[in-house]
Amino acid sequence: MGANPAENHPISFRWLLKARENGGKIVSVDPRFTRSSSQADLYAPLRSGTDIPFVGGMIKYAIDNNLFHKEYVAKYTNASFIVKEGFDFKDGLFSGYNEETRSYDKTKWEFETAEDGTPIRDESLENPRSVFQLLKKHYSRYDVETVVNVTGTPKNDFLKVCEAFCSTGKPGKSGTIMYAMGTTQHTVGTQNVRAFGILQLLLGNIGLPGGGINALRGESNVQGSTDFGLLFGDLPGYVGAPKALPEHASLKAYLEKETPKTGYWSNKPKFLVSMLKAWYGPNATKENEFGYHNIPKGNKNYSHMALFNAMYKGELDGTFLIGTNPVVGGPNAGKEKEALSKLKWMVAVDLWETETSAFWQKDAGSNPEKIDTEVFLLPACSSFEKEGSVSNSSRWMQYRWKAIEPKGESKADLEIIHSLATRIKKLYKNESTPAAKTINALHWEYGGHGEHPDIDVICKEINGYDAKTGKLVANFNSLLDDGTTICGNWIYSGFYPEEGKNLSKRRDNKDTGGGNFLNWSYAWPMNRRILYNRASADPSGKPWSKEKAVIWWDGLQKKWVGNDVPDFKPVVSPSEPGGQNPFIMMKDGVGGVFAPSLNDGPFPEHYEPFESPVANLFSKQEMNPTVFIFDGSFNKKGNKSKFPIIGTTYRVSEHWQSGTMTRNQEWLSELAAHMFIEMSEELAKEKGIKNKDKIIVSSARGEITAYAMVTKRFKPHKMNGKTVHQIGMPWHFGYKGFATGDTANRLTPHIGDANTNIPEFKAFLCNVRRAD
Amino acid sequence: MSKQQQPVVQVRRFSMAFVIAHAVNAFAFFALYITALPMYTEFFDWLYPVLGGPATARLLHRIFAVMFITPTFIWMIFDPKGFKLWLKELVTWKKRDIEFFTEFVKELFGFKFKHVRQSFFNAGEKINSFIQIITAIIVIGSGFTLWFPELFPKVIVQWGYFLHNLGFGLAIAVVVGHIYLSVIHRHSSPGYSGVITGKVPAWWAKGHYPDWYDEEVEKGNFPDLDKEDKKPKGA
Amino acid sequence: MVEYAKYVDVTKCDGCRACMVSCKNWNDLPAEPQDFLGSNQSHAKVTANTWNVLSFIEHENSKGNLEYLFRHSACFHCKEAACVKVCPEEALHYTDFGTVVINDEKCVGCGYCVQNCPFDVVSLATYKDKHGKEYKKAQKCTMCTDRLEEGMQPACVTVCHTGAMEFGEKDKMIQKAEKRLAEIKGKFPNANIYNPAGVGGTHAIYVLAEKPSVYGLPENPKVPTSAVIWKDYAQPIGKMMLGATTMAVIGAYISNKIFYKEDHGHDENGGGSNE
Repeated sequence: MGANPAENHPISFRWLLKARENGGKIVSVDPRFTRSSSQADLYAPLRSGTDIPFVGGMIKYAIDNNLFHKEYVAKYTNASFIVKEGFDFKDGLFSGYNEETRSYDKTKWEFETAEDGTPIRDESLENPRSVFQLLKKHYSRYDVETVVNVTGTPKNDFLKVCEAFCSTGKPGKSGTIMYAMGTTQHTVGTQNVRAFGILQLLLGNIGLPGGGINALRGESNVQGSTDFGLLFGDLPGYVGAPKALPEHASLKAYLEKETPKTGYWSNKPKFLVSMLKAWYGPNATKENEFGYHNIPKGNKNYSHMALFNAMYKGELDGTFLIGTNPVVGGPNAGKEKEALSKLKWMVAVDLWETETSAFWQKDAGSNPEKIDTEVFLLPACSSFEKEGSVSNSSRWMQYRWKAIEPKGESKADLEIIHSLATRIKKLYKNESTPAAKTINALHWEYGGHGEHPDIDVICKEINGYDAKTGKLVANFNSLLDDGTTICGNWIYSGFYPEEGKNLSKRRDNKDTGGGNFLNWSYAWPMNRRILYNRASADPSGKPWSKEKAVIWWDGLQKKWVGNDVPDFKPVVSPSEPGGQNPFIMMKDGVGGVFAPSLNDGPFPEHYEPFESPVANLFSKQEMNPTVFIFDGSFNKKGNKSKFPIIGTTYRVSEHWQSGTMTRNQEWLSELAAHMFIEMSEELAKEKGIKNKDKIIVSSARGEITAYAMVTKRFKPHKMNGKTVHQIGMPWHFGYKGFATGDTANRLTPHIGDANTNIPEFKAFLCNVRRAD
Repeated sequence: MSKQQQPVVQVRRFSMAFVIAHAVNAFAFFALYITALPMYTEFFDWLYPVLGGPATARLLHRIFAVMFITPTFIWMIFDPKGFKLWLKELVTWKKRDIEFFTEFVKELFGFKFKHVRQSFFNAGEKINSFIQIITAIIVIGSGFTLWFPELFPKVIVQWGYFLHNLGFGLAIAVVVGHIYLSVIHRHSSPGYSGVITGKVPAWWAKGHYPDWYDEEVEKGNFPDLDKEDKKPKGA
Repeated sequence: MVEYAKYVDVTKCDGCRACMVSCKNWNDLPAEPQDFLGSNQSHAKVTANTWNVLSFIEHENSKGNLEYLFRHSACFHCKEAACVKVCPEEALHYTDFGTVVINDEKCVGCGYCVQNCPFDVVSLATYKDKHGKEYKKAQKCTMCTDRLEEGMQPACVTVCHTGAMEFGEKDKMIQKAEKRLAEIKGKFPNANIYNPAGVGGTHAIYVLAEKPSVYGLPENPKVPTSAVIWKDYAQPIGKMMLGATTMAVIGAYISNKIFYKEDHGHDENGGGSNE
């Protein structure tokens, strides 16, 4: 659901087919019948942007039919917690909403706690203010009729999906939800994933083999780069980035504010201090708070759209675009291209000249004479021309070796960054401006020669070592907050525990039990393969079932044993305090059915997309009330009278992202050589369009020309007595490379999720007509 | 013609148009034969380099194929009378035509035989003509499908290969006999000059095509050999 | 000699087309961009430079349900191959693996194989020699016979991530197909094993979810009757006729020589007498 693994993550699909050979069932929920759907046992269409009603309906189905895993829910989730009086939900809004700031006062969603701060629980789940009862009440509105009237799913198909998936609530059964950008690229993206989380917690499907909610990562190393602080709100290892707030003014204040008392994150000071030591080396001392003051702090939204908005307004001087092609891949791409021309300089690092690094050229439809942006293009190595690790969706850090020498003057990203850092440091060496101070404080000693740093030195820094002896630490349990340990990224600590022993290079493909391959590469944290695997055993430490056993408590050895590295303190017995709290990264040690930390509410609630052809049937709130709305020409909104058709974007197997890698490859280009728009036979008939016709798709942002692909695989949504049409298109195309075509993202809006700011690429309004 | 006082009296049997048409036909036939031979049997694969490679051989084959089609038109346009006569003769079959064959076999192998009275074309030539017409239609028709397979359903093209092969097989068999008779065979070879110069010895013409000869004598075109008492000599 | 076969279970194919790319990669074939075909399919059929094509079929089954069918289409490597039969140069031949391959050296580019293949998988490629002169060669999937000779698997098989393709001993592949057929009969009542007898069976054995015609395959492919008559009858008979005529002519020549000598002087007029 929200993923099309056969087309976009084919290798993951291989394992789905293997699971089916063992009796598994594949369910495909997608607006369009895809290559994944072709292999599915069950297929249910839904209108783009209605995931919460669909999953909300499943949650209701599981509760109403008593299909949820009661003991798991009572013991391992916060369903038994009591929410403080005053929490309410009325007409689409949770309590604490402030219309002016478009935000919630989250203190209205807190749990009742005992004096020591631990939440009060009612494991009978009957307290009317228990999370469970609130959940039940919240989703009582998501009855089948309402759901299918919103999603457009045929009722039978919906019920079949509910029946099949909720059957995994029994011990001995498990089900996984694989999702990708079809889930996240919405104004309610985070809540879509949350809905999956709630359903999986109810069914007891987290922490056991074949369970979980699995994000299919769209880039080979997006997991690794996210782990290393790719997101603007995070430092490496998911340590929150400090902001320009009084609470973050000093390290002490930051740690006090951001360190929970319980759960594994209570070790945060050790991770942050060790990281500061890695960055600032000898310049990080106890006296100067380990160089904490050097970390840049700001209060703005530094997400993609916000940056381009600022760029468009002329607020940015320059930008580095490393392996990114926003003129094809960014939302409202036409406007993003315009924004680039407001820059003074731009550095693009890529394998090819992309539509972005060539945005100023005539071919791009620009007038070079009117653009003052100075563009530097640094040729980068492909993955085959360099060594390093790639982390997959299962958090396996797999080392790869160089296959061929780099072509031409191209360099590995690591070499480019290393080169930049050493040169910048040289430039500022004799200066004492504030900017120079932070640069001079940076400890950049990675050995090697010239532009080539010693990659092992970097690996060792990531793993961590003793500041005095230089001895590598075994794992993050050895990290300290007094500046005596150095660690670049705590979650990876342990992958290089001894000199010359890089565990990500391991290639032992022997099944070490339970389908785990513990000696193949390294999975963070601590080589654990199944997160929260304590949940695979019942509170007493016995596996819920033999079939799905992962770890169990061995009373004789007095430790947790099994097929995987316990994601738990291995010597804490089930009867000890915390011994029944599998979700160790959560403050309270249990799964969060109720999430009082998100911006748009503790329970997922359906709101229509930014642009929708129908009114919200659940409440008066049309759109997620907490999304940030960019103003002005950067964010034009289309209405349903002019643009009655839902548009969505996606990828095809043959191309990758903005197409830079694949449209420059002839063998892939010939397989998917043309920009196309998929539409139903019904819509084509209505519009007088025949298969293969050239058509024009327009939205409030722009219009594009492409070929019509009229297909039986798209069917109009019939809901609430109305017919709503939907079309879909790949977003890979641009004017460069062998396979060229108009860029779908010229149609997409500048609006994003309330928590992550991911743009809403997957549901927008448009119209189609024949091109001639 | 008859006035020419040569050792052997010559009479015109064929028009120049026919002579040219026949020459073109014969040339094209052999050119087609040779350019196709390496395709027909691997024994002649050594011809490929001689012909400039398979591609050139195919090109030549197509050029000669066009040439092969032209003789009919040359004859038809430049000697419509002769062409018409041919067609007329082809459809005229009498008892003597049948008798011809028994005698022909004797003649062929050098036994004693008697001339069955024949008109312009004897029955053998008519049969030859028929076979050549049919095989030409087969070969040319199927050749089209092979040259332009995209214009025809696949099954037609597939049968085209067979027919081309069949037509060729028949044609070459007949042609071998035809050439033998005209060039080598003692009794019929005097007629050979007919397709080279258009003229044949009068005595031979009278012997082989008495009806025609007599007709022409009556018209005053040919000398009456009996009256002139000219003893023709063997060629 | 053990016969080998490629097993293709189209019901496991997810249409990723890695087989197409790996084929071009191993065999070093150029890209052939096509016009938009109105579906996800890239090429209408296999060509001289695209030896396997994944066909995409949207099929509504008898129950009215939509099926999105994929088929890896390439040479079937028939046991009795029409292309081998009609090849005038013996360029097309069978290998010890049971595969049918073209000897480039011998191929003269006549295209007989192209027209006679019941599956339409052979095509002519045009090349240029060093003098710039064009020449043609028939091309098609070789089942990577060059890899088989080195003990490797066909390139397409090695990249098939869903396990839709395998290569192995033909008997085992047929057993596999039969087992698979039994598994999927419930879901696909029309499922069948495609190993057509009209061409003596093939060395690419398919498990099809629907009737062959749904996949654009002939239901009962066979070596064209015309090719059989042509190659097994017409051509030998033609050669025989040519021989017979030649013999007749030679015989006639000799007998004429003999009788002419005997008769010489008796009858200069060849013994001919009018009436």
